[in-house]
Amino acid sequence: MGRTVGIDLGTTFSLIAHVDPQTGAPQCIPGPFGSTLCPSVVSVDPGGAIVVGEPARQRLLTQSDRTIYSVKRLMGRGVADVQDELRIFPFHIDAHSRSVIRVRLGDKLFTAPEISAFILRELKNWAENYFHEPVDRAVITVPAYFNDAQRQATKDAGRIAGLEVLRLVNEPTAAALAYGLHKQKRGRVAVYDFGGGTFDISILKLISTDEGEIYQVLATNGDTHLGGDDIDNELQRRMREKIVELFDMDLSEQPEAIQGLRKALIAAKHELSAKDSATIRFELPGGRLFDHTISREVFERWIEPIVARTMGPVKQALADAKLAPADMDEAVLVGGSTRIPLVRKTVGEYFQRAPHCELNPDEVVALGAAVQADILESGVKTMLLLDVTPLSLGIETMGGVVAKIIPRNSTIPASAQELFTTGVENQTGIDVHVLQGERELAKDCRSLARFQLKVPPGPAGLARIEVKFLIDANGILQVAARDLKANEQRTIEVQPSYGLSDTEVERMLEESIEFAEQDFSERQVIESRTEADAILQATEKTLRDPRSSELSAVERRSIDDSAAALRAAMATTDYKLIRRRIDELNQATMHLAEILMNSALQTAVQGKRLDDV
Amino acid sequence: MSVTKPQVAQPNRAAALPCWNCQAPARGAHFCAACGKIQALPEGTDYFAFFALPQKLTIDAGTLETHFHKLSWKLHPDNFVRASEFERNLSLARSSELNDAYRALRDPIARVEYLLLHLGLRKEGASKQQAPPELLEEVFELNESLDELREARADGGDVAGLRERLAEAQSNFQEKLEEVDAELAAVCLDWDASLDKQASEAPVDDAERNVLLARMNEVLNRRSYIRNLVAGVASELLEA
Repeated sequence: MGRTVGIDLGTTFSLIAHVDPQTGAPQCIPGPFGSTLCPSVVSVDPGGAIVVGEPARQRLLTQSDRTIYSVKRLMGRGVADVQDELRIFPFHIDAHSRSVIRVRLGDKLFTAPEISAFILRELKNWAENYFHEPVDRAVITVPAYFNDAQRQATKDAGRIAGLEVLRLVNEPTAAALAYGLHKQKRGRVAVYDFGGGTFDISILKLISTDEGEIYQVLATNGDTHLGGDDIDNELQRRMREKIVELFDMDLSEQPEAIQGLRKALIAAKHELSAKDSATIRFELPGGRLFDHTISREVFERWIEPIVARTMGPVKQALADAKLAPADMDEAVLVGGSTRIPLVRKTVGEYFQRAPHCELNPDEVVALGAAVQADILESGVKTMLLLDVTPLSLGIETMGGVVAKIIPRNSTIPASAQELFTTGVENQTGIDVHVLQGERELAKDCRSLARFQLKVPPGPAGLARIEVKFLIDANGILQVAARDLKANEQRTIEVQPSYGLSDTEVERMLEESIEFAEQDFSERQVIESRTEADAILQATEKTLRDPRSSELSAVERRSIDDSAAALRAAMATTDYKLIRRRIDELNQATMHLAEILMNSALQTAVQGKRLDDV
Repeated sequence: MSVTKPQVAQPNRAAALPCWNCQAPARGAHFCAACGKIQALPEGTDYFAFFALPQKLTIDAGTLETHFHKLSWKLHPDNFVRASEFERNLSLARSSELNDAYRALRDPIARVEYLLLHLGLRKEGASKQQAPPELLEEVFELNESLDELREARADGGDVAGLRERLAEAQSNFQEKLEEVDAELAAVCLDWDASLDKQASEAPVDDAERNVLLARMNEVLNRRSYIRNLVAGVASELLEA
């Protein structure tokens, strides 16, 4: 059994974290470039190889047709849902996509869960290289306001990446967990999570009980399509207008130039969080220079409507929790977009207190996920998260009206039973349409699934089918039906309105393994052999040194034996054995290393160069 | 969403059945007293019994919350991540029932609705949408004002004056809502008193019980009607 980790699968960046068994504290794991942030960008090589993270981000400028960012915006959505975004995001959606969107990268088509799975696999590799052990289970975070289809898509992505998803945790709740641990505070906390692509607000109560700490979410709200991306798009729109005005140049048909401009804009946006003005310098196609300075005042005027859009959900969440802004003990900021001074000011003014931002807003969600993963894995429970479902669950009734059966902000797991019967004689099926949302009419809510309950023909109203709708701790709906007349459990064929079937996920899992560079153990064997080669060569070299004669015969034999044992281990594929033998050889050569080190010091003192000795 | 596979067996759906694991008598408790395993939910739901409470309508919110947290700590699926699929399902069923029960019992109105539903005297969401006779005249006037407001809004008439009239009507109905709430609270106290009496004196007075329940039902219907009215006016005023 491998390791368990916490993953923040973000719109702009993704992170992986674990709880250090020594210190008991959560920490993020860095990747090959030293940063703990993995850009959520995926690129497909002309040769078919998958590139993820920083190298993929570089390709946004050079190979924009084979590279995708912000794929989280497509998770769990149908083609009709994303028309607005297509005007702004350079997604190449396949024309034949139906309930599941397929994106073209180069000459291949991928679904959003598959692309997300590439990011998850990359993070998994980071952690495996860090632990030298396989990672196979994870807690993955999702925006609190994600609906059933978006959650299911995230869970599917985990499975495709070869991870058992122990739990989906809401991002603000994970942040509250990390925050609560850090501050040891109790009371009512508002978590304002403004990320790259999503906005969430959660109102929590942190309670100490005899058993341990309970983090109870009272209400949550948000917008799954509101984030730093929107600020970038607003800046882009204005700058493109400016470019038309100044240079009579339209960038619409030049995706690489747009990506270049976007990069320059984002840099300016970051600069404006610390300075009063920032200059966008960008070389236009043809070589002319676009040079434009924006003051923070102007920037704030431009983005004010976007920031204002976060306040509707904030007010609704507080109203649902039956609380006023002044009732809150703390406001906590999460997500990169909360670095913007206007955001901090807006939140501070509303809650009438300075918001907390001492935890790194990029890392805090992954840290909380790691803590939850550790609790689930170790079985040692020191705290309990009680989360809620963000949207009401309903079923369509006569006239297309939705009957709510589980209200929003119900603590999950939550359930509702409904009794169905036939309306006409010899009716053989009852249609059930399940929806999520707050609107009155089915057409305005999110369709989750349609299914038909099969009933034996008979007089109207005779059939009695009880359907149990259950939202599990991941916020995902489960449906089970029971025939009360026959007293038997029934299988229902549910056609999800959006998303992948189990067989599709299985097939993608198989395919993704083909895509994955190497299997974990294979990679470990190669790496440990390389390491062993290096240490054997170094040992041989030092043994040839005349100063090694200072070693005792016993020490000398111990080194020879350890080196021989390491060579024998290298012939096997047991990477754990190879690593053990490496450690043993290191142990055996410790005195030899000291001798050389002392001698080197003496040489240095005598003013001679080491090479001359 | 996902579809749960039909469970092969439905062991001890009835409370009388013994523990599925050690066969000790389970008595409908959350966990088996002998082996400590989580138990299946008995047939049908009884939110009061879930919290080991009598079917009284006065419940102390703080005590209920503490009880809710204690049970959450024990029943939550977090505790069963490494257990068998069978036990995971039992935890899912019991913890969702816990949350459903808490949701119904913590709110004084939902609590009355649940009691009536549980006793088979009320169908879910089936509150009558007829105007209570004593309110007919006022409701008629209100609807007229609402129509006038919509017309005035459409052809730019005197919205301000109508707004004032509607706001007045709204506060009038809001007052009525408070009266109804007080009425409901009084019936609830009578119900609790009748239960106390039952506990000390035999036999049970079914007739008295049924009168109280019928009154609750009637007051709830009236309340729901007035509440919809107030909400409707509020949303019209917001638009105007």
